[in-house]
Amino acid sequence: MAERGPVRIIGMHAVSALGRGADALLSGVLTGAPAFRPVRRFDTTGRRVTVAATLPDVGTLADELADAIDRAGRAAGLDRADRAGTALFLATHGGPHSLPVPERPAEPSDVPGAADGGRLGPPVPALAGHLADRCGLGGPTRVYTSACVSASTAVADAAALIRRGDLERVVVAAGYLVEPDQYALFDAGRALATDGAVRPFSAGRKGLLLGDGVAAVVLESADVAARRGAPTLATVAGWGRTGDAYHACQPHPGGLGLARAVESALRRAGLPPAEVGYVNANATGTPFSDASEAAALGCVFGARAGRLPVSATKSVHGHALEASGLLELVVTVLALGHGKLPPTAGWLAPDPDCPLDVIRDAPRPASTPYALSLNAAFGGANTALLVGAP
Amino acid sequence: MTAGRSAWAVLAEARWPEDGDGAPPGVPGFVHSPFHPLVVAVAERCLTRRYGAGPLPADNRTAVVLVSAGGDTAGAAHVRQTVAAGGRVGPLFFFQSVPNSVAGHVAARWGLDGPVVCLSPTGDPRAEGEAEADLLCHDGDAAQALLILIEPAPDGAPGEATAVLLGEETRQ
Repeated sequence: MAERGPVRIIGMHAVSALGRGADALLSGVLTGAPAFRPVRRFDTTGRRVTVAATLPDVGTLADELADAIDRAGRAAGLDRADRAGTALFLATHGGPHSLPVPERPAEPSDVPGAADGGRLGPPVPALAGHLADRCGLGGPTRVYTSACVSASTAVADAAALIRRGDLERVVVAAGYLVEPDQYALFDAGRALATDGAVRPFSAGRKGLLLGDGVAAVVLESADVAARRGAPTLATVAGWGRTGDAYHACQPHPGGLGLARAVESALRRAGLPPAEVGYVNANATGTPFSDASEAAALGCVFGARAGRLPVSATKSVHGHALEASGLLELVVTVLALGHGKLPPTAGWLAPDPDCPLDVIRDAPRPASTPYALSLNAAFGGANTALLVGAP
Repeated sequence: MTAGRSAWAVLAEARWPEDGDGAPPGVPGFVHSPFHPLVVAVAERCLTRRYGAGPLPADNRTAVVLVSAGGDTAGAAHVRQTVAAGGRVGPLFFFQSVPNSVAGHVAARWGLDGPVVCLSPTGDPRAEGEAEADLLCHDGDAAQALLILIEPAPDGAPGEATAVLLGEETRQ
């Protein structure tokens, strides 16, 4: 089958502690006020850290994902026939779910057979089939469990399959809702910021904080989008995925793997680094990781890395783990579309290991045709998504 | 999306257990679960058959594609029980809580610098893994791929795993 043109983003929806929908997400990240509050969803007694960015009245992961997929599909103008030919790529934690318990009786949409009696939804990977059925998506399904690059890898794969001509349209959906098991693990691993703030690239940063994130993005081939008259929110102009080959859990200190991912994305788009005018960084607020990412940007952009606008919105909405790549892709698309680059919260002072132009205090007006959304994960996995303005 | 359309050659293949195997040896930094030792053992056996002691030279762009429906179910169950009882989990459980960690362990040991991708299969695990490997190679981010298929036994026993190195056949 013939290779196709740039892959279009034609619909999206996101839920986070900043609220429901793209407007709430954009408003929240542009305001730049961190959404971290004491955790009420479960007991944090005995934990070193007791805050996270959670959305009140959140449903189960299955319910929130289904709603996000449905809303993204409607935004993309997908009718029943369109949905029947649409693939679903799902990014979520691969283990047994430990989710907020909905304060409602069991409903017909709950899936029987799960260990919890069905109220929390089906186990992975049956969740993908359940969501496809609920949302009328009849194409192939895939489930990505690649930790914090799950969603961004799914987007890269979806774009590659569309570009290759294997698929016309893919819904990428991703979800993480703050729950007790992962919270306890991150607390035990001393990964959470003990001062209750995420301070990406800043001196004095102490770690990450978790946050809710559920998102769905509809990707479509350029010719099909044009034929349907679908709105183009942005393009996925390039993508790159690499491994550090360095350590099971720590990134390469020189950021070499992440730099190769960015170079791969640029090469695929046929663009020089100078075309990139904004970076939505992975930047978790973790001392070692942020320095590695700064080094990666230095590798790719050279001296310009210090003048390239960078922000890290995990400082506002928290780290949504497997869903982080999709939540931040939505932020990046919104920032490009509105010409406003979101600020980074938590800044204290410059860190000489992170010599970057970190946007802080207020949004920065900008008009740039291309932006990068970066993610990295345990296992030395790195991804770069190059987003083009519509 | 065509599962298993790969035209790539099988450069090496291994299973655990094979004749004479007992439980796979432990892996430093990974505790409590048979999942991680099994991944490492089958990957080591497969890569050794192709490359001897390793590691591979830089820029080999070898992807690691780990396919497992449930991942480390024993570790996850331990965490669930500990948290439900109000206890504290050990810090090592954090570092091994996602399949990426052990995939990255293998990648670091052998110098595999291609993408690291973990999938929970919705259909035939090998076909899905081969399709992912094919896509990564076709797309150019990988030149070859180490595919690891693993499902721990439901009773907590080590279970079985297969590792396949997929790539273009060249003279060594």
